[in-house]
Amino acid sequence: MISAQRKTGLVFFPAFDWAISPDHPEREERLLYTQDQVMEEGLLDIPGIVEYRVRPAGYEDIQRAHFCVPDEAAVTTESHLISAGGCLVAADAVLKGEVESAFALVRPPGHHAMRVVHGNRGFCNINIEAVMVEYIRTHYGIRKVAIVDTDCHHGDGTQDIYWHDPNTLFISIHQDGRTLYPGTGFPNESGGPNAQGKTVNIPLPPQTGEKGFLYTLDELVMPLLEEFKPDIVINSAGQDNHFNDPITNMNFSARGYAILNKRLKPDIAVLEGGYAIENALPYVNVGIIMAMAGMDTSFVKEPNYEKDYRPQSRDVTRSIEQLVEALKDLFLRGGLKKTPYDEGRIQERKRDIFYDTDGIQERQNEKIRCCSHCAGAFSISSTASTGQHIMGVHIPMEACPACRKTGMEWFQAGKKGNFRYVYLQDRDQGSYDVV
Amino acid sequence: MILGLDVGGTQTDTVLIEGDQILAATKIPTGEDLLLTLRKALESTLTGIEPGQIERMAFSTTLATNAIVEDRLERTGMIVSAGPGIDPTCFSVGPSFHVVEGCLDHQGFEAIPLNKTSVMDAVEQLRDEGINTIGVTGKFSVRNAAHERQIVNWAKDHFSHVAMGHTVSGGLNFPRRIFTTYLNASLHGLYKSFSDALTHILDEKELHAPRYLLKPDGGTIDLMRSTALPARTAQSGPAASVMGALALDGCKGATLVLDVGGTTTDMAVVLDGIPLLNPHGVKLGRYKTLIRSIITHSLGTGGDSVVRVNDAGNMTVGPLRNGPPVALGGNMATPTDALVTLGLLALGDKGAAGAAMERLGAALGWNAEDTAERVLKQMAESIAQSARAFVYDINAQPVYTIHQVLNEERIEPTSVLIMGGPAPHIAPYLEKALGLPCRVPPHYDVANAVGAAVARVTAQVTLQADTERGTVIIPEAGEEHKIDRRFDMDQAMALARESLCRRAMMIGAGDNSLETSVTEKQVFNMIRGYRAVGRNIRLKMSITPGLIPQWKRSKDA
Repeated sequence: MISAQRKTGLVFFPAFDWAISPDHPEREERLLYTQDQVMEEGLLDIPGIVEYRVRPAGYEDIQRAHFCVPDEAAVTTESHLISAGGCLVAADAVLKGEVESAFALVRPPGHHAMRVVHGNRGFCNINIEAVMVEYIRTHYGIRKVAIVDTDCHHGDGTQDIYWHDPNTLFISIHQDGRTLYPGTGFPNESGGPNAQGKTVNIPLPPQTGEKGFLYTLDELVMPLLEEFKPDIVINSAGQDNHFNDPITNMNFSARGYAILNKRLKPDIAVLEGGYAIENALPYVNVGIIMAMAGMDTSFVKEPNYEKDYRPQSRDVTRSIEQLVEALKDLFLRGGLKKTPYDEGRIQERKRDIFYDTDGIQERQNEKIRCCSHCAGAFSISSTASTGQHIMGVHIPMEACPACRKTGMEWFQAGKKGNFRYVYLQDRDQGSYDVV
Repeated sequence: MILGLDVGGTQTDTVLIEGDQILAATKIPTGEDLLLTLRKALESTLTGIEPGQIERMAFSTTLATNAIVEDRLERTGMIVSAGPGIDPTCFSVGPSFHVVEGCLDHQGFEAIPLNKTSVMDAVEQLRDEGINTIGVTGKFSVRNAAHERQIVNWAKDHFSHVAMGHTVSGGLNFPRRIFTTYLNASLHGLYKSFSDALTHILDEKELHAPRYLLKPDGGTIDLMRSTALPARTAQSGPAASVMGALALDGCKGATLVLDVGGTTTDMAVVLDGIPLLNPHGVKLGRYKTLIRSIITHSLGTGGDSVVRVNDAGNMTVGPLRNGPPVALGGNMATPTDALVTLGLLALGDKGAAGAAMERLGAALGWNAEDTAERVLKQMAESIAQSARAFVYDINAQPVYTIHQVLNEERIEPTSVLIMGGPAPHIAPYLEKALGLPCRVPPHYDVANAVGAAVARVTAQVTLQADTERGTVIIPEAGEEHKIDRRFDMDQAMALARESLCRRAMMIGAGDNSLETSVTEKQVFNMIRGYRAVGRNIRLKMSITPGLIPQWKRSKDA
């Protein structure tokens, strides 16, 4: 009888009663056929595959990763809390040692949600991976985390949240931002002053196929992980690189996803995007679950694979090889030019952020204290077209006294400013205050 | 009068019911020969009863269960069509398993046409191997049964019996569908001769009233109709005792039902008179099936379990059983011996039981009574621990909608109903161990036979409509119709209800017991690109386990 080689947890939450709007890609029907396929394959009966029941995350879980404006209740619905909660259930299962790895097959997704949340961007309100990572850090004392985002869209939200964190290696593999939402994710985006080289963007050309993804994984992603030596590896497992996906232009397959997962061996995988709901997701998800469980995936493929899958062209292969070579120079061979900075200097950046789903414009002004002792305190002041004007101060885990002092000074000054709300996210003390 | 008969592993119980009165109850040992046991049980109960007075008979038997567990199954070949996914040979079952070319997707669209040559090759090989019975199962055949039907059409003339997968259940689970089809096919011959023989016995005794068999979901099915899907009558014992609990007690609120037998203690939860059902299906021997059942758990701790104590004073009760209690000539101390020692039960040799307790506790300085107390306490503790885990697992079942997550209905039993031989004696110990009020119903020692006697016919249909594909299918009923784009939930409900009632009547339901309930109801807009292409309607409707109206009426009167 068939059984899992690695004990694998599955948290399945299709949210059959939630949609952004009735005809939106993020609608009730999205995981219906995935559920059908998973059930029909009998995956949940296989010894070693354990299904877990979801629970909603609490606001305190969200407050570790976000500044929600004006508050959590205003920018989340129950479905967001449950989707994030599903990730927490997966994390508990793995970190308590009940299973070797786990897959949170949940919706809605989260990797476009940034630290400051005024509304929905790219179908995401809260960043479910970040909520999970901070939960893991708080409850299980883990520091070094690697997040490998294999969604077809740049994981700009996760990048934003971990931009300054030297203890998080964020790698995003996605379709070139010049050809797809959100239009970011280029190699020169490589992390803030305290975390240079800890953000790695791999923009692949349209029509990248099985060969290109696996080449990138073997040549670049795996060596980066080996060098970083994370305590835990998380895969933001978007499935929209699929050749059947209606809103992207990539050429990946269920079989390819399964092999990728088998080689990456994430401790926890979290579903992100993927909208070929009837002819990609059912097969990709079955492939990922089986790969995580260490089962033979050679029989997993789309019914139209033979008919419609085309191996990637030579031009695409060449351009991927060049890209990977250039990225190796930067991130593996010490070619990344680190910006010189003075210890204790406050570095600023200004940004404009657009929330496509909710049509919100946001302007941010960020300050970070350059620090070699800790991840550095930072503050973000944010003005949005909703009329909100807020400031959020972040004090990192294991903050050094100087950064704590700076953070507290910013918070005190903020309280006297003309902000509508001032937030203090003190990860070191584990507190969150709103004034 | 109603006759109820439950064949257990060691004892066969029979009751005769008139109104809400139990007129007669008999217990005889279960013998090697099932038919002989049934004959004896009938004879010992019906002495002096006019056969014409019996208006209904229901049986819970071990025939199918034992045939499966003891592997007395007919040589059965399987023809399976699968397509991509898990390698179907992982679910290979029986002596000759054939995967043929052909594939349907999850919507029921044909992805790869069925290859006649590969089917006929399989048929030829099965014939060469001298196989007469086959099962035919397709992946997603509950969405579109065309491939299964086609295989059967090509193959049927070459075999004496063919079982099909989609008629088993509307549920999705290809491996379970394979195993269930295999069991139905391989039990067919044996079961048919059993039902013929039982019919013969009943005819001979001029018992012509309607005859029913109990199923693991606590419902009954007409004896003659049960031969079509014989695996449905396996594992009915635990269901018999749950239905007995329902009949004798009513089980208001959330009730934990414990049936403490000789070898095991079976547990179930009844919620406001309705037993909780297993969403996947019952496990028969080593086969996970799609057969609906009451959620039960069997713990290897019963009155005749072996009691052991180690040097540190830690005691275990079960899961081993080694012959009868010492009081009845056995040689290992059991909880029954503890009851006898304490004078709670008058059975066999009290001196021998006391001595066994004495020996058990001697090394620890406990006297016989002291040891006996500890045995019963430990037994209750083991049952309580297992019951808590059982309830925890029920509450850990995954849910898939926000509504279910937020309106979390945790099941917390507020009282306990105890049945089986030792029930009244072990109840005080269980009450302490569980911290819940425990009660014992009247006729607690034949509750299972009462349950079989008064359980109504149950049935279930699963409807799936896909207006993009233009079809609606009810696999259990073998129904598939064309529909147009306007087909909606109201039409689906009407169709499902009609199909369910017809089905229930066909398998023996009276038209006064057709209480239908909707167990699943979902409709999804199907959108491709940004365009609505159809509606996907999913409906599960069933007649849930319950009691026949005759019994309820007399209870109310």
